[in-house]
Amino acid sequence: MRISLSWLQEYVDIDVTVEELAHQMTMLGLEIESIEQLGEDVQEVYVGQIVAIEPHPDADKIVVCQTDVGGDAPLQICCGAKNMKVGDKVPTAVVGATLPGGFAIARRKMRGVESQGMMCAAQEIGLADETDGLLILEEDATVGEDIRVHLGLDDVVLEIEVTPNRADWASMIGVARELAACYGKELRIPEVALVEQGPAIETVTSVTVEDTERCPRYMGRLLHDVQVGPSPEWLCNYLIAAGQRPINNIVDVTNFVLLETGQPLHAFDFEKLAEKRIVVRTATQDEPINTLDGEARKLSDDMLVIADAKVPQCVAGVMGGADSEVGEGTTTIFLESAFFHPASVRKTSRGLGLISESSQRFQRGADPEMAAYALDRAAQMIQELASAKIAEGVIDAYPEPFVPREVTLPYARTLRLLGVDIAPEQQRAIIESLGFEMLHHDDTAMKVEVPLRRHDVSMEADLIEEIARLYNFDNIPVSLPRARKCEKVFAPNEQRIRAFRHYLVSLGLTELYNWSFSNDDEVQRAALPASYRTMVVLENPLSEKQATMRSSIIPALIGNGARNLNYGVTSVRGFELGPVFAPSDGDELPTQGNRVALVLAGEMEGAHWSRSARAVDFYDMKGLVESVLEHFGVVGKLEESDWETFQGGQRAAVRVGKHVVGTFGRVASAVARAFECDRPLYVAELDLDWLLTKRPGATQFQTVPTFPPSARDLAVVVDSVVPAGELLEKAAQSGGKLLRSVDIFDIFEGEQVGVGKKSVALNLVFQSDERTLTDKDTQKAVDKVLKRLKHEYKAELR
Amino acid sequence: MKEQLEALQAEALDTIAAAADLDTVEAARVKYLGRKGAVTEILRGLGKVSAEERPAMGQLSNVVKAAIGEALDSRKTALSSVADAAREASEAVDLSLPGRRPSQGHLHMVNQVTEEIIDIFAGLGFQVAVGPDIETEYYNFDSLNTPADHPARDSHDTFFVKPGVVLRTHTSPVQMRVMEQVKPPVAVLAPGRVYRVDYDASHSPMFNQIEGLLVDEDVTFADLKGTLMHFVHQLFGKETKVRFRPHFFPFTEPSAEMDISCTVCGGNGCRLCKNSGWLEALGCGMVHPEVFRHAGYDYEKYSGFAFGLGIDRIAMLRHAVPSINHLYDNDLRFLEQF
Repeated sequence: MRISLSWLQEYVDIDVTVEELAHQMTMLGLEIESIEQLGEDVQEVYVGQIVAIEPHPDADKIVVCQTDVGGDAPLQICCGAKNMKVGDKVPTAVVGATLPGGFAIARRKMRGVESQGMMCAAQEIGLADETDGLLILEEDATVGEDIRVHLGLDDVVLEIEVTPNRADWASMIGVARELAACYGKELRIPEVALVEQGPAIETVTSVTVEDTERCPRYMGRLLHDVQVGPSPEWLCNYLIAAGQRPINNIVDVTNFVLLETGQPLHAFDFEKLAEKRIVVRTATQDEPINTLDGEARKLSDDMLVIADAKVPQCVAGVMGGADSEVGEGTTTIFLESAFFHPASVRKTSRGLGLISESSQRFQRGADPEMAAYALDRAAQMIQELASAKIAEGVIDAYPEPFVPREVTLPYARTLRLLGVDIAPEQQRAIIESLGFEMLHHDDTAMKVEVPLRRHDVSMEADLIEEIARLYNFDNIPVSLPRARKCEKVFAPNEQRIRAFRHYLVSLGLTELYNWSFSNDDEVQRAALPASYRTMVVLENPLSEKQATMRSSIIPALIGNGARNLNYGVTSVRGFELGPVFAPSDGDELPTQGNRVALVLAGEMEGAHWSRSARAVDFYDMKGLVESVLEHFGVVGKLEESDWETFQGGQRAAVRVGKHVVGTFGRVASAVARAFECDRPLYVAELDLDWLLTKRPGATQFQTVPTFPPSARDLAVVVDSVVPAGELLEKAAQSGGKLLRSVDIFDIFEGEQVGVGKKSVALNLVFQSDERTLTDKDTQKAVDKVLKRLKHEYKAELR
Repeated sequence: MKEQLEALQAEALDTIAAAADLDTVEAARVKYLGRKGAVTEILRGLGKVSAEERPAMGQLSNVVKAAIGEALDSRKTALSSVADAAREASEAVDLSLPGRRPSQGHLHMVNQVTEEIIDIFAGLGFQVAVGPDIETEYYNFDSLNTPADHPARDSHDTFFVKPGVVLRTHTSPVQMRVMEQVKPPVAVLAPGRVYRVDYDASHSPMFNQIEGLLVDEDVTFADLKGTLMHFVHQLFGKETKVRFRPHFFPFTEPSAEMDISCTVCGGNGCRLCKNSGWLEALGCGMVHPEVFRHAGYDYEKYSGFAFGLGIDRIAMLRHAVPSINHLYDNDLRFLEQF
């Protein structure tokens, strides 16, 4: 809502600077979106009067005018407009003037004739959008007056955001009331005194309200002999300042009163109403109406309309119909002022996708009391500005008047909630200053009647908020509450998740953070197994790309890896801890689990002057997965996986006991290509929720060795198909008590070892807690290992 | 024998002094002091020495041995240090060559800020609570005093999964889930992903919030102000100014928005703060009686405050990130800056 400062001053005296006012409004909850100084870009433009018009000697389309701007002599100005005549007053920019858009006026010659300025169209001084010819000012305009002063362009407009709870703030009077209360000033509501003439309204028309629930109050007045025409400048200026375009005196008055009071009004061309009567009813399904915005719309049977005897003429509380629009030929108008149910207007407005000044106010809750005032105020203004006659009487269909709420506030509750002791007198004064009626008060409490405009106030907390606002939040003290002990721990794994996240970072991985969305195509491109393809579907996705909730983080990480490689990132090492979702049959909510996903691509070790770069391979990802498992104190076993996401021969399922904890591998070429990547990518995903169920106990002490270790190498030749891991396992089993560790330090295949064979070099480390080992001790153990490997795999010592 | 020993000593000292390397020194040790060395050889003749002279000869031989030993040690030390110096000189490196740096991982900016916020509130006794991303309308709206036709629902552009089930539009539903489980005192902080149908340079359909809730018998608006000011001063520094102004949220009464002095201009006015000097930081207020009613808390007995803040926005302010979309782009060239 745009608040013109000069318009606001009609209702309350403001004697502080704009900055102070803006601050105070902010502290009342009237959030300031912007402060606009009107006319800032219109300089050196004055009211000028054309004293002579002569043809240009050399051009058909230009005339040469003499225009008096209050100086010693009139200015000679060449002008291409046609709508002016001698004696007209027009905005005149003199040499040195600037106009909106930084346009500067200089002395110049037009086809050989000197021009000492420019006469302006409305558009050229920043007024309306579409204008034809010069802006002809009113006859009584003072020649030489600054045009900004004359047009009210020297105004300041504060644009405020009205919170949805305060419909009453969407009006000049509403804002003025708040400021009057805050500054202790008087609120001036314009007085209305009607002169009624002619036949009583009931004898000319009738109003039937079929749905009193959605239309609790419907008021109307009839105005005859209306002369539709332009509005006076002051009215236009206020509307322009408020961001509206003046249309004609009738429409402008309804808009003005809406902005002034917050009460939406509608004027019907009475002659266009079938049988000249009003029926407030629900629409029939698909009933058509042409609304004022030029759209042909179809209504549904849950929408309220204002109809004549036959067809809808207005979508109740939202927008009028074009058929009964007030225009130049209108002579009689029916002026409507009503209260429509907020939820009904909201639903209709959303249903039609049509938001208007009216619908915004009605859906927040208008003021049923204000309906009467606004109707009379508008009628009186139309009488004055359009020489109309107001028919006798008013229609007021208000079968069940709203009963104001009563709220009791014990003063002590204010202290308890705010933490500041505000004297009872001050609490009462604040509440009364906002227009609440004091019903009763004593030493401990007050009881007030809530004005009907205040839909937001129904309980003591609401009154405390009013007191806090007017007392000013800045004046409420500051205290730090003591720490409290809650009886329950709500997120017992929080610390462990954090520690795990930091662990992954310490391994050189960067944390990724993808949206939780997915889509069928992505899952298909990633070739995820069937169980991942049934996802939670959104009813109203942002786009097809975010149509579902992700069932796995893998597609996102393949995408991240591919994109980063394509960006030219040399080393991609990333992880994400996050939620995945799956539909659930029985439960109200889908299931949600947490996973950890890893991605490696590009170089594992970057190029350095001392060595060349090393590309990521399967064993980097395997080692990473093993580290993750070890972090949670579990040992996993790898099995060949059947996921088509990964390339055959480089994919593994990780099993711990009976549970498959996750899967990893090298992304299959076809899958990588589907993500626009032609380089090796390794991805893993593990069940984080399951890992978090594993709580390694405190590690127990083991003797620190006192005697030196003794290492032996053992290279054996076996068939190529023998898994090296099995050799390790058997060596560990057969090496005896003294064997502390066994590792593979070389694998070799080639002619030297024979076709279909490979050499596996084991490093065995022996150690005793009791003595330094002799060569004999270690040789004995090595022999046992060799014997076992010979027995199991026909291994030959190399 | 005395002459023999003295002559040997002189010869040995000359030999040692002349030794050019450690091997020669070692050979001298063997030659003179070894088990079959020259000194031992001379002492074999001790039996032929008279009984009166024998102690003196024994003593003299010890002196000779000590002198030779000392000469050997000092020659060895001298030669070692020369050898070390030569080797070390040959091993000098180019200090200016790049070192091998361990690869460095980076925590996502959102989690860096989240952890910091959690730690600040943990110091005040708040613990973390979590709730599901896919929520019922009851927890997301109804229980928070936002019934179906409430205008406040318009500002939450909600993703629907099916009637009654939504992607949570804020972390506030965790409040209700927590209050349903325990009686006061309650002091929780709920971080998490939230979702709204909105996507442009300043909106992401998924972003992150933190909700805070403190309920007990004596919690006031003054406590709310104090707690959040403490938070701002910890996170942004003591010089940051804080302002609370009235606002509207369905689930708090009174409601407030907290502004902080602009992190770019310090309050003087700039483009970021639209010349106001202030930046919106979070929404907060005293828990609404209707919310307590849904939680089964007695409003006569308990009071509490709640707040919700956008983590992304805080992170962006802090690191001067121009668009929220950087946060979820997963471009390592961005992520590895922080």
